[in-house]
Parts: sequence; C-alpha cells; structure tokens
Amino acid sequence: MQVKVLFFGVLAEVTGTNCKHFRDVKTISDLNLRIADDFPEVIHYNFRVSVNNEIINSDMVLNDGDEVALMPPFAGG
Amino acid sequence: MIDLNGNQVICMVKNYLTNGPITNKTISHLLGKMSEQTDSGGHSIFLGQVRADEINLKKVKAIEYSAYEMMVKAEADKIRELILSDFTDVTSIDIVHSVGIVRAGEISLLVLVSAGHRHQAITACSKAVELIKEKLPVWKKEIFDDDSHEWKQNLQDQTGS
Repeated sequence: MQVKVLFFGVLAEVTGTNCKHFRDVKTISDLNLRIADDFPEVIHYNFRVSVNNEIINSDMVLNDGDEVALMPPFAGG
Repeated sequence: MIDLNGNQVICMVKNYLTNGPITNKTISHLLGKMSEQTDSGGHSIFLGQVRADEINLKKVKAIEYSAYEMMVKAEADKIRELILSDFTDVTSIDIVHSVGIVRAGEISLLVLVSAGHRHQAITACSKAVELIKEKLPVWKKEIFDDDSHEWKQNLQDQTGS
C-alpha cells in the first residue's frame, strides 16, 4: 500500500518538496516515524495533520491511496 | 487568468481561489451582481489588503499565499453552509481568496454577504471572515524589500486583518 503526503507552508520549504509517497505505512504514527527519518527538520515545527481533507487529532489506520497533509498554522486573509 | 485587455476574468475564480491579487474588475463584477438580488436589502463586503508592515527595519513588499486547494473548497463550503444556517436572513455569500504573489496595497481576500436586512449582512460577514482566518488551509510568506522572507501565522486574538 502507498500513501501520498503533502507538505505546506514552511514545511514545504524546509523539506524542499511539496509531496512524497510512502509505502507500507499502516498508521499515522508509523508515518510520523518515516517522515522524521526522511525529514528530521520537520519535528521542530508545529503542524496539524489531515487525512483526505479531514483534520485528525489522534492516531488512525491508513489505507492505500490516502492523502495525508502536514499543515502548519493557517494564515489566510 | 488575464484577458486580452490585461484584466482579470472573474470566471477564473475556481473553488474560491484566484491567482494573484483580487482586482477592481473582479470586485466590480461581484458588486454588479447585487442588483439582481432584489430580495436583499443590504450587502456587507470585507476586503483584506496586504499591509506594508515594517519588521526589524524591513518593510513587507508582498505576500506569497499558498493553499491546500481541495481542503479550501471543503472548508469554504462548510463556512457558507454554517453562515446560511446560523443567519436565516442571509441570501448569498461570496468568498474569494488569492494564491500566489499579492503586493502591498493589493487585495487578497473578498467576502461579500447579502441579506434581507443590514444587521445580519454585517454580522454574518464579520463571522465569515473570522471563520476563514481560522479554518481555511492557506499560508502566507511575507516578502521584504530586501527579498528575504518570513512565514506568518494568524493569531486568534489579533483584531487586524
């Protein structure tokens, strides 16, 4: 299985990418570990996580094709 | 989208977002639609403008906005539904937000609320602006006059735009 991870705002800048695919991650906590391995700078920033456009507040199981977004605090307007 | 006369075309506001500043032509187009709404007795409009803040002796010359477009659509739909359900006198809501570069003095957010009477038009417009700042997944990078930049976030208690 594979999930797509999107990086926004300052996180896109510090990781140098807007998007990366991760294979064989079963849960958000698995994914967090993989992201921290690939992009250790990310852990220094505050961000919220969404799965398929819905913000999540706890760990959850991921499914093939899910779109996960790492979102720093919003700044619209 | 720019037409052959160099004007922004309103139809290119897609899913609440437009590239670059919100132009006078876009604003005029939306204001022009008001005359068709003969059931409305009041319209309230909010225009958010990029401010040339001075920070550590550097002046903001522009903001570069980025957005999670699919989620902007979902969240803006929810905001419209919430306003229409909480303010029963409201007849329509328009929301346009910029992505990309918007220079100081240019407009980056437009909210237009129409209602049967003025009180709900004004109150609902204010509520919609607060929800947009809280809920829309949009990020802004302030670009200074020396071309350095800084990421900015909205503060909940901030009273300015």
